[in-house]
Amino acid sequence: MEAGTLAPGEDASPTERLRDFGRKRPALVALGVLATIVLVLIAWKGLHSVAQRGLIGLSTGSIYALGAVGLTLVYGILKLTNFAHGDFLAFGAYMAYLMSVTWELPLLLGIAFAMVMTALLGVVLEKGMWGPMRARGAGILQLILMSIGLALVIRYGIQYFWGTELRNLDVNKTDTVELLGLRIGRTQGIVILVGFITLLGTGVMLRYSLLGKRMRALSDDLDLAETTGIDTSRVILWTWVFAGAFAGLAGVLYGATTQLQPEMGFELLLPIFAAVVVGGIGDAFGALAGGILLGVVVEWSTLFIDAGWKSAVGFIVLILVLVIRPQGIFGKARAL
Amino acid sequence: MTDAARREPIFEAQGVIKRFGGIAAVDGASMSIDQGSITALIGPNGAGKTTFFNVITGFYKPDRGTATFGGEAVLGRPPYVLARMGMVRTFQITKALSAMPVVDNMMLAAPDQPGEKLRNLITQPGAVRRREAEVHEQAMELLDVFNLAKLAEHYAGTLSGGQRKLLELARALMTRPRLLLLDEPMAGINPTLGRRLLDHMQRLRAEDNVTFLFVEHDMEVVMGHSDRVVVMAQGRVIADGTPDEVRSDQGVIDAYLGGGA
Amino acid sequence: MSELALPVAISFDAFTSLGFWISVGIFAGTFTIFTLGLQLNVGYTGIFNFGQAGFMAIGAYSMAILVTDKGMNFWVSLPIAILITMGFGLIVGLPSLRLRADYLAITTIAASEAIRLTALNARDLTGGAQGIFGFGDSWDEVADSIEGWLEWLGWSNPDNLAPLLIVVWGVALLLTLTLSKAQRTPWGRVLRAVREDEDAARALGKNAFAYKLQSLMIAAALGAIAGFFLAVNLAFVVPDSFGPTFTFLGYAVLVLGGLTSYWGVAVGAIILQTVLEGLRFLELPISEVKVSALRFVILGLVLIGLMAFRPQGMFGKREEMVIGD
Repeated sequence: MEAGTLAPGEDASPTERLRDFGRKRPALVALGVLATIVLVLIAWKGLHSVAQRGLIGLSTGSIYALGAVGLTLVYGILKLTNFAHGDFLAFGAYMAYLMSVTWELPLLLGIAFAMVMTALLGVVLEKGMWGPMRARGAGILQLILMSIGLALVIRYGIQYFWGTELRNLDVNKTDTVELLGLRIGRTQGIVILVGFITLLGTGVMLRYSLLGKRMRALSDDLDLAETTGIDTSRVILWTWVFAGAFAGLAGVLYGATTQLQPEMGFELLLPIFAAVVVGGIGDAFGALAGGILLGVVVEWSTLFIDAGWKSAVGFIVLILVLVIRPQGIFGKARAL
Repeated sequence: MTDAARREPIFEAQGVIKRFGGIAAVDGASMSIDQGSITALIGPNGAGKTTFFNVITGFYKPDRGTATFGGEAVLGRPPYVLARMGMVRTFQITKALSAMPVVDNMMLAAPDQPGEKLRNLITQPGAVRRREAEVHEQAMELLDVFNLAKLAEHYAGTLSGGQRKLLELARALMTRPRLLLLDEPMAGINPTLGRRLLDHMQRLRAEDNVTFLFVEHDMEVVMGHSDRVVVMAQGRVIADGTPDEVRSDQGVIDAYLGGGA
Repeated sequence: MSELALPVAISFDAFTSLGFWISVGIFAGTFTIFTLGLQLNVGYTGIFNFGQAGFMAIGAYSMAILVTDKGMNFWVSLPIAILITMGFGLIVGLPSLRLRADYLAITTIAASEAIRLTALNARDLTGGAQGIFGFGDSWDEVADSIEGWLEWLGWSNPDNLAPLLIVVWGVALLLTLTLSKAQRTPWGRVLRAVREDEDAARALGKNAFAYKLQSLMIAAALGAIAGFFLAVNLAFVVPDSFGPTFTFLGYAVLVLGGLTSYWGVAVGAIILQTVLEGLRFLELPISEVKVSALRFVILGLVLIGLMAFRPQGMFGKREEMVIGD
């Protein structure tokens, strides 16, 4: 332990300096680690496989990222660990199903409907449940358990109305598209496109728009933001609108590339949490990066392990990050 | 205890550095505390007093420096180890455990309780019971000294702010500390209560040779009740002497009036 | 994928059948043991352990593997399985107990799911989705003896699930008593301090981390014991039995009975199990699947309602509801 043994004036040892560097430039370190992994994979499995799986990973990653952005903002601003967020995605997927399969309206309308309905769900819950609980000074355990109760209500509500059979959105799942010698499902390609455009737009919005800046300010320090005269309750509502809308969109995209079933919410919850943690709680850009990163890494893992174990990779990443750097790659080193 | 033994340092810190991000909140602070003395740690806002306090009590990990307590190296060791060695701290925002009765708060603090180890509950039930009875008696005695005895069975959460402060001090004393570090003991309490606390401090010093270090903003208290005053500014110790010496030190006056630079 | 696997023996037209309610009672007893661990963790140490189902799985699978694969005697396998589970408690706890409350919740769920995933995929070891069966012979012998005693005591032709009911509740009550007593000791006092404010405990010389680890490992052991009863009850162990829904049900029992009440756990378990199973028999013009879904919707609403309006549950103490974060 250096602390007790270094007298003032002594120079830092190389290991100390390396660790300091790691602490100050985590993004660079993460990038470096990632680059190393990519190079090793390419050497082992060939550029084509790595790129192919990477492309698929971008599709899953966009979905994670969309889910993660909403979750991290809610988490960061309201200190709410929303275990029901995954079920928001499921809700969106089933709303789209309702509109475009049951009512046979165009899928684009279905997507819009999903986003609107999920955003509405978020707002209604904020007004009816989260807001009042916060006002009463509810503790963290109460909120977590309420979100779990909510998760159960949404998931099994979906099961009540739509049963447990697998359902499909009316999309073409077999057509593939070729890009630079790589093959990808047409739907997945669209997911990547939609995902990236949305995420880019979100990034721009968060960085440059007034609302975006306010959301980030609240996420950073709610009490401080309140003293600066920002109408926090409006910003909070807008946060839920975004969180809901993106969750709904992510759910539809996920349903489009796979299938709909009531458990899909929970299946998505943990990877989304992982993305949030990797990126740093409350950091929206971190969540974007974390989601994409996670999607890609999980897909790459299938190069050498059985597909059944894919989820385990997500857990390993989550646990590793929590052990090595709990504040995530982009988070600040707050005392945890 | 002879005067010479009283004046031996019980705690020494050297060159303590603590950085947050790129800024050194504590930038090479050194001090020495004599046994049986009452030392005040003062300084303008942002001087690093609280950070220094948290570092030497084990709640922050230092980046550099050394410290010894009773001759043993202590910097960087976890708080519970320091507490067991006799270096006990209180908190500015009192941490009276509100979900427990007052007497439980007190009994919690007693050292050497075999009943705190699971193993002993099974293998030494008699010893556990005996020590519990002992601890209970000591707790009630101490509560009596602080006029809190009638509140013994009340949940600590129902006490007033001032009573909680007294409870925290009483509880700290249950640990039989050699060095008691008080974090702004006068904050938020009325003058009468403050005087009582100070009286207790003087009595403990005289009767049990307890050493005190306290961080404080109230200058009257500092000047009137401490043997030594240590002044910090910008992470360093800029003055260290008797209240009178420190009061007239130009560097200290500048630090409080000037700020910056 | 994470639905509870219920015993196939239940028949729906047996509403008034004693056998059905004995079965409910067995589940209630199993839940009680399971949730006692949660009470120790959440109610008395302030640890949000959401991975209890994972510990249950480790206990059940360890026993099953030791008996069927390694040919070990059933009774010998039990303490070994408990030790294995406590070992997992240690592995999970060491890196995650220093994290703050909500991170711990996420980590423990992830760990629990990782365990279930392993059970599902490591086919050679765990039998995959089919699971393991055939470990219950030793128990069956004991059950027969107990049935014999029951007959001798006057109950002609007792239900063959009755012995399990008696044993599970005997164990549950014994554990409740033990935990209750342990709570009133100096050890229990330190736990309560850690629950509210770790720093305060540390400043008074208590190694908070060590206590949290002990708490988690004991909960793991309790989870393992619940796992044994579940396994013996179903006569097989499959991954589906150990999903997070089981943990969530445990939390529902916990908050219903009341955080900080060990005896409340038993009451909460009985009530919840009765309500959930009793719902099967409502004459509703809806399909079985819908009824099944409705049960969990109601569970979710109960959780929300309790947290909103009566967080201390039936027997909890409002003054002790301070779980520091």
